[in-house]
Amino acid sequence: MKRQVFLISGKELKGLARQNSLKILFTIIMVLLGFALYAGHIAYKQQKIMVETAQKERRAEWLDQGDKHPHIAAHYGTYVFKPKTLLSLFDFGLDTYTGTSVYLEAHYPHEFMFRPAQGYGNMIRFGELSAALVLQLLLPLLIIFITFQTFTKEKETGTLKLLVSQGVSIRSIYLGKVLAYSIIVFTIMVPFFTGLYIVGTIENTSSVITDMGVRVLLLFLVYIGYLWAFTNFSVWISLKSSSARNALLTLLIFWIVTGIIIPKTSANLGETLYPLPSMKIYKEAIQNDIANGMNPNETKEKRMARLKEDYLQQYGVDSLNQLPLNFEGIQMQEGEEYTNKVYDFHDAALYKKFELQNRAGSLMGFVAPYIAVRNLSMAFAATDWYSFNDFQEKTNNYRRHLIRSMNNDMAKNSRYGEFYEYKAGRNLWETISDFKYLTPKVTMIFKYYGMELASLSLWVLIMFILIPSSSKNKFI
Amino acid sequence: MKLILLLWQREGISIIRNTFQIIMLSTVFLLGMYAIYYGHSKITEQQKTIKNVEQIEKEEFEHYKKSFYRDHTSVKEKQLFDIASKPAYAWYRHGYHAILNPHSLAHMSLGQRDIEPYYYKLTGMSLYYQLFQIELANPLKLYAGNFDLSFVLIYLFPLLIIAFTYGLYAEEKENGMLPLLRLQTIGLRKILLIRMAFYYVLIVGLGILLSSIGFLVSSELDVLSIFLWISAILCYLSFWFALMFLLISLKKNSSLTAISAASLWLLFLIVLPAILNVYANLVYSIDNTSLAEITRRKGLENEDDVNESKAVIFEYLQNRNDLKGADSLIEINIMAKAYAAFTALNDNHHRKEVSDYFDQIRLRQKRISAFRWANPAVNTQGILNEIVETDSEIFQSFYQSIESFHKDITSFYFDKLFLNKEITSKDYETLPKFNLKIDSQDRNQKIRNGFIEIMVATFLLFGLSWILFNKTTF
Repeated sequence: MKRQVFLISGKELKGLARQNSLKILFTIIMVLLGFALYAGHIAYKQQKIMVETAQKERRAEWLDQGDKHPHIAAHYGTYVFKPKTLLSLFDFGLDTYTGTSVYLEAHYPHEFMFRPAQGYGNMIRFGELSAALVLQLLLPLLIIFITFQTFTKEKETGTLKLLVSQGVSIRSIYLGKVLAYSIIVFTIMVPFFTGLYIVGTIENTSSVITDMGVRVLLLFLVYIGYLWAFTNFSVWISLKSSSARNALLTLLIFWIVTGIIIPKTSANLGETLYPLPSMKIYKEAIQNDIANGMNPNETKEKRMARLKEDYLQQYGVDSLNQLPLNFEGIQMQEGEEYTNKVYDFHDAALYKKFELQNRAGSLMGFVAPYIAVRNLSMAFAATDWYSFNDFQEKTNNYRRHLIRSMNNDMAKNSRYGEFYEYKAGRNLWETISDFKYLTPKVTMIFKYYGMELASLSLWVLIMFILIPSSSKNKFI
Repeated sequence: MKLILLLWQREGISIIRNTFQIIMLSTVFLLGMYAIYYGHSKITEQQKTIKNVEQIEKEEFEHYKKSFYRDHTSVKEKQLFDIASKPAYAWYRHGYHAILNPHSLAHMSLGQRDIEPYYYKLTGMSLYYQLFQIELANPLKLYAGNFDLSFVLIYLFPLLIIAFTYGLYAEEKENGMLPLLRLQTIGLRKILLIRMAFYYVLIVGLGILLSSIGFLVSSELDVLSIFLWISAILCYLSFWFALMFLLISLKKNSSLTAISAASLWLLFLIVLPAILNVYANLVYSIDNTSLAEITRRKGLENEDDVNESKAVIFEYLQNRNDLKGADSLIEINIMAKAYAAFTALNDNHHRKEVSDYFDQIRLRQKRISAFRWANPAVNTQGILNEIVETDSEIFQSFYQSIESFHKDITSFYFDKLFLNKEITSKDYETLPKFNLKIDSQDRNQKIRNGFIEIMVATFLLFGLSWILFNKTTF
């Protein structure tokens, strides 16, 4: 049987090699893939230089801000810029739709600013050409074009009957054909991912990704699984269809519905089911909780009165002036801690809504494998929402550390009621180390993508089940 | 006429008998209905926020106005009155809103309304501290895009056209009907065009029906916008029919016609725009990192140093010839004046940087839109967004109008602050108001050009197909 499979596969490949239209399509895909990778690489380099320069400038600004009161320095604050991950040259993911910089100052945890999509105009909503887009949408279309008549043609010309009468099973023919098309997919994928790995290794010196090899391997496996399932599905449809026209129509409809319509509808449906508040309402609720407390016992006045009482009692003194530290610093930090608590509470509720919205899409991965592969690809390229969220969390922690350090210094080294008399200098600014970001290990990301992994595995499994058994030759 | 009716009747019967085609039409109709619902709910949500924001502003200023007629015996009342009447407190506390209200048909093509903020709260504080905010949005949803009516019309309707027309000639040949048709006295081209006209009426009719439902759910009917919308749909769908006429005229087999049509759909809707976006990013890359710094909350280096405060105030007054005599009044409210002057100087200092940034964006958008003529899908999306004012240019105009609104706000307070004048209850009748300034001529020109480009492409394709049909053989 093995020999038959290889023979059929060889014959199929020869047939394909003779078709000029397919050669053109294959070349177009390769050119697009190369262009996408080249453009992604240039964009990565440009962004990397911009971010590194800006980060250095802001760092120098922070260190050279001169002598001033730590609270003024905390308001002066600093900035963090989102670095592009190296694998964004392969999959831009959500980079165009997430903010790129954030201002870190006291009292106000600001939102990220400047979504790149804001600078593009209307056309950005049509999408950007990335290597991931070529593999997720365009390569499956090429697979459809080369496979839709693989069985129907054999049926129309009568060669299928001839083959079966010579003792070749449908299973062998089927496997031979799938093998031939899989070889074509491999011919594209193996050099492409090897190239990606080499570029990744060369460029990885100052990358924010530490596990490049594993990520590239995972990307390769995900795409191989997806494209193999797609190839198998296309061949199966051809086997089941009465004519080439029917096979083509079925496959094109499947491609459009699962690649274009379902991803958009499910994302919109998610938003309809779990609507987000406007920024104004969201911020108002936070400010209200900060001022009036998250429960009646935590109003600003009550919290401050309690804090004052606690400190006076702890140090056994009657007035704030007698405390060995500046109570204003303590008060500032308490205010920060409470603000952080309120923000954490509201952010968690907001992120929960994001997750619920996205889950609607993830669930549809069982119907539309494109969704599963799209989400996994972003995740492994570290351009997905969870990676952005991780970056956001780390900047948040950095901001909290910076403000805490300023408030503690104020509490320790200045005196109560003397604001202009105390000034800190470079020594204090230097205690805040520069912000350095590393993406989490890819294994940490897995837990968020169970649904996508399950749906993609299910698609692959179904495709195995669909392979005709050796005993059945009833398809002709 | 009899022939037309006969052929149309035949096509009608074939559609009714074809479950697949009925399902396809119903699905597109239902998706269109959902798209209208989604767009409408999104805009309703934005309108609610706008109302809320307007109410907050109204209540805030009502409080200030009332404080002029109350006793100021309690600390709270006194504080409120001070904020209402003293520019030294008011300039950074009085909150105004600049709002970009949605067009009555915005729900049909949401455009950039989910990415760009459509309202801003502004005080006399640094403009750039307040300008670069973003609206809450799920990035994955932004990436997936809006499922609005324009998406259904631009993406899905061409697929309907392809599905209904790709086999009009080739299938007759493949089914053995062509020799019979050739025996008729009527030309094959005429038969084909009559049959295509049937699908034109059916699909365009469905597009107009869905659009009409969209018009009906809008709060007000803007006749010009409705006329332009329908014209845009007619032009775009006509282009696709002309394109299919061309493919059919090549007289290839049905599979090859379908593959070619699907490839062209992919080219116009995905590949070309995606390449252009990447090209724009490479050639006109925008550096916003330098802008981040100007959003910083800055203050005087040594705010306790009176001389430094005075120096800042004098520097500001040098540029304000209209505030004659203000320099002799600086001893009163010196800290507030110094901060106001510092803020204004700081904004002036960064104005060029911000303007350069917006110029970069405008240039990039101008360069990308120069390719619009080559892609009717992008062109139509642009036209629809421009008709319902959800395009990126309207947001550029919004930013520019905010800049002049902020100028009005600072003038209102700073003039009084530096001349040591109080805000009176009468001044509340002449508070600064936001006005959106749009270059209507430029917008109309763009819409007009878009129409011409699509129509020219359509006529060219139609003309070419007309000639090709009789020249090519199957």
